[in-house]
Amino acid sequence: MAASLIFGEALALGLASGPACIAACGPVLVPSMLVERRGVGVSVRYISAFLGARLLGYLLFAVAAWELGMLASMLRAPKTLLIGVVYVLLAAVLLAYAYSARHACVQKCSDSKLVNIGETKNRGVAGAAVLGFLTGLNLCPPFVAAGIRAAELGSLTAALLFFTAFFLGTSIWFAPFAGLSCVARNEAVVTVARMAMALIALWYLALGIAMLMGRKGYGY
Amino acid sequence: MATDLRVLRPGKPAPRGIGRSLLLTLPIVVWSLLMFFHPGGTTDRLSLIAASMTALLMIALFFMMMRTRSTYRWRRVFFVTLGLLFPVGFIHTVIAMRGTMGIPIEEMIAGRTPFCFMPIPLLILPAAFTKSLVFPGSILPAGGMSGGGMAAMVALWLCITLVMGRGWCSYACFFGGIEEGVASVPARAKIRKTDPRWRFGPWAVLLAMVLLSLALFEPAYCMWLCPFKAVSEYVAARNTVGLLQNAIFVLLFGGLVIVLPFLTKKRTQCAWFCPFGAFQSIFNKTSIFNVKIDKERCRPCVLCQTACPTMSLTKESIAQGETLMSCTRCGACVDACPRNAVVWHIKGTGAAAKPERARLMFLYAAWAMAVMFGGSIIAQGLATLLHFVI
Repeated sequence: MAASLIFGEALALGLASGPACIAACGPVLVPSMLVERRGVGVSVRYISAFLGARLLGYLLFAVAAWELGMLASMLRAPKTLLIGVVYVLLAAVLLAYAYSARHACVQKCSDSKLVNIGETKNRGVAGAAVLGFLTGLNLCPPFVAAGIRAAELGSLTAALLFFTAFFLGTSIWFAPFAGLSCVARNEAVVTVARMAMALIALWYLALGIAMLMGRKGYGY
Repeated sequence: MATDLRVLRPGKPAPRGIGRSLLLTLPIVVWSLLMFFHPGGTTDRLSLIAASMTALLMIALFFMMMRTRSTYRWRRVFFVTLGLLFPVGFIHTVIAMRGTMGIPIEEMIAGRTPFCFMPIPLLILPAAFTKSLVFPGSILPAGGMSGGGMAAMVALWLCITLVMGRGWCSYACFFGGIEEGVASVPARAKIRKTDPRWRFGPWAVLLAMVLLSLALFEPAYCMWLCPFKAVSEYVAARNTVGLLQNAIFVLLFGGLVIVLPFLTKKRTQCAWFCPFGAFQSIFNKTSIFNVKIDKERCRPCVLCQTACPTMSLTKESIAQGETLMSCTRCGACVDACPRNAVVWHIKGTGAAAKPERARLMFLYAAWAMAVMFGGSIIAQGLATLLHFVI
């Protein structure tokens, strides 16, 4: 009974926090999906890998935080440091991703034939998993909300169950991202996605470095 | 005079008669009088002088468009004037009201940030998800420093945009005028060949900024990337990140609005970076006006491609008889074509439709907007200068 209550509460919290989750993960997920091949199967695989690794990130963080006893009362300095490291790593992965997509199999906008067919190696699973894992470690507002609630539970097992249910609730909101598989993959789309990834990476990098230097994340 | 014009522009039709040109200018004369001297308007002597000068300028330029049948060079005079005078009036107003060009957090919390059209695409997703606007201004009239309020500004922009498409970027955007002015300074371009993939830049910035605006719940472009913060208002930096933001604004302004337009003779910020321009391009699909290329008349001399300030023509698009989606309807390509193969066009009309009629219909809409929107900004800038001089 207690377990089902915890499960229900976490699921509801996840469902309610879903929009904030997709807002937090959108800058990483959308452009990286757009450089992958077209097709519902590819997108579903990509999102599954992303979400699976994100769950792993959640649980690892939850275990570490529980063991260190700092889930709810994490000090400002280590928290800023952790987010700074995650941001810098995210930036590095996004830049690598944008660079590696230069040989994406694309259609030139002005041409009906396929051109520039390079190695269509499957970056999907590995890339998605790394990005998902890093976003899982990112202390986004819904994650913090879940963390605080989980810290009030009596045992580590209950906290992990809470996080898993919370994750399931938020994951439903990611389903519409599969719709990105309908977007044509031509020279324009892939180039736009690569450039956007590089830009987002630079933003993460700037903010990450500022945080590592112990600076405030915002300019006001 | 007529003979001279024919000599200067071989292949172009003869200029219109003065009487007919005046008659065609009459609606703009009436519109200008209504806009600048409406009842309840300013009674300040210097502001009235500025309004009169602006009205005369706008009417004279439209008359010349009618008389010479060319668009670009006359529009450019207006556009560059707008670009030069916007910072004058704006900076004077912010300093008079707030004492500094920096926006402190207190002003933002109070919703007194002047509204700009640039963040419009960034507001959509956060508004859809949370029913809140991420721009720190007031929706109601007289709530923001620009006085109009966001609701009125967005409604006005939407109405104009549905008709004009990306024409907004050549007849209303006060930022574009600055780089067009810089681009017109050198006689020849120092850099003539650029990677065509840069034209996807605005879409990338749009995608990144829309996603980051939703994630951060703030207009990310205004906070991090807007080059025009350098000549309007900047972040009142109170820490390192604030300083970094201001450094980015200045670097982007210097690079994209000054150096690159000077080297390429193109509007590089509009062509390679501006997310609002990319967003505006979508509305070229709703606009009834476009520019067509008559494939039978066209000898691919690519003069139109060279003339296009926003790089909206490629060899492929010329071969297909149309401009790219990013066309700003400035008229440079039409004026540059020696064979009259590039023409103004109304969608749905046949190839035999008179292009000059399409041009007139577009110009009435565009110039009415230019008088209303840009004209008031020019008048404000002029009034500021007059206040300093007299």
